[in-house]
Amino acid sequence: MNKAIVEVKNLSVFYNGQTVLSDLNFSIKKGEIVAIVGPNGSGKTTLIRAILGLVPYQGQILVNREAVQGSLEKIGYVPQRFSFDRTIPITVGEFLKIAFRKVAIRRLKHALLEVDMKEHEHAPLGSLSGGQFQRVLIARSLLNDPTLLLLDEATSEVDIGGAKSFYEIVAHLNRVHQTTVMLVSHEINMVYQFADQIICLNRQLICFGKPKEAITKEVLEKLYGQEVRFQEHRH
Amino acid sequence: MQRAFVAGTVLAALLAYLGVFVVLRRMSFFSDGIAHASLAGVAAGVLLSLNPLVTALIASVIFAVVIFLLERKSNLSADTTIGLIFTSGMALGVLLMSFKSGYQPELIGFLFGNILTIKPSDLIVIVCVGLFVGGFLIAQQREITLLALDREMAYLSGANPDILQLAIYVALAVSVVLGIKILGIILVSALLIIPVSISKLISRSFQKLVFLSVLIAEFIVLTGLFVSYWFDLPTGAIIVLTGAVLFFVVFVLKGMLRA
Repeated sequence: MNKAIVEVKNLSVFYNGQTVLSDLNFSIKKGEIVAIVGPNGSGKTTLIRAILGLVPYQGQILVNREAVQGSLEKIGYVPQRFSFDRTIPITVGEFLKIAFRKVAIRRLKHALLEVDMKEHEHAPLGSLSGGQFQRVLIARSLLNDPTLLLLDEATSEVDIGGAKSFYEIVAHLNRVHQTTVMLVSHEINMVYQFADQIICLNRQLICFGKPKEAITKEVLEKLYGQEVRFQEHRH
Repeated sequence: MQRAFVAGTVLAALLAYLGVFVVLRRMSFFSDGIAHASLAGVAAGVLLSLNPLVTALIASVIFAVVIFLLERKSNLSADTTIGLIFTSGMALGVLLMSFKSGYQPELIGFLFGNILTIKPSDLIVIVCVGLFVGGFLIAQQREITLLALDREMAYLSGANPDILQLAIYVALAVSVVLGIKILGIILVSALLIIPVSISKLISRSFQKLVFLSVLIAEFIVLTGLFVSYWFDLPTGAIIVLTGAVLFFVVFVLKGMLRA
């Protein structure tokens, strides 16, 4: 449990001359569930994308002690938004099959079952609602038994019941397979319930640690401003 | 006629298969641009008394690489860079042709296509290059499909999107130039677009889209070939019109079935 799976050192990201992330340092251990919180535009999505190597950055990011490109096959990723041409005739099953070089049919069906989309395997991808499509993306991220799961507001379009079951899936993967999970979330109550660590971002690292210890009145003010009300959770 | 049949069968399958990705990636202007720019290669071949098909293939690869580099190294959009190469290549072709006096039947053949005048050396080039490009496309189908859906998804699935994109550009450029022998510079894009357009009307899965595109392309090319041979009509034009008629028939039938 002590092996670092993600190590971030002096990470800064710049976009069009603007600092999006400034000098972040933290390390995530294997088997942890880590929530990333912060206001809109605080760099949460940029952090996830930098870890995946999707945006240029300064500093060092190691996944499994190497550059992320060496570990991509073992990373599950659900983006906040995925836009594609909905007129393309491709079924849900085909979309999942092409995700990785070898996908066992049984694994594919199981992944769809886990997100309650089993009956949609032969449905055209373009016919799905936003919530259904996000569930397919979650199923896709589970196909390769990832050691690291990156979820960028993965539940933003999933209904309440779906969101609950989704967090249960995440907790199950984490518990049984020791999958390390990093998730961007606005649902603070879920963060308290499921996360081992929390990263508070506002272009720089505001806090990092266990949620109950790291989230203080001062941290919330730094994140969301003076007007935010602080109410302690009693779990 | 036998050479035309073999070349037509190979090119119909190749262009229809590539057409799926052309339509998904909205690259029809790229193929049109390469076809027109390849006039420079054709003209160079005619002028230097080399096989114009081979010189056009070389020119098309150079143009594809230049478009790829311009897209990445400049702040110009894809259609602007293609437009630049499109017109520059054609202008170079016109300039080179002006150095050769008299009627140029070979040039007319390249502009409008004439599959019935395919030489044995052309057939060898078409079959060899066609099989090589087809083999590459089949081997990389998963990665190319991912790239067509989303560039980031292709990267996350282990592909190198830049190298893959360049390879697709070159494969498409080469295939378009091979197709010029059937349809000519002006009409070759039709074989990339029409079969997959018809297939897209009636397909619900990607597998079916690819299979039907190839099947429809074979039907269109072979029907056009026989009709043009039988009635002594221009091959390229008949093939394109056969495809266009089939498209509207399927479109109307689909509408009637839905109503």
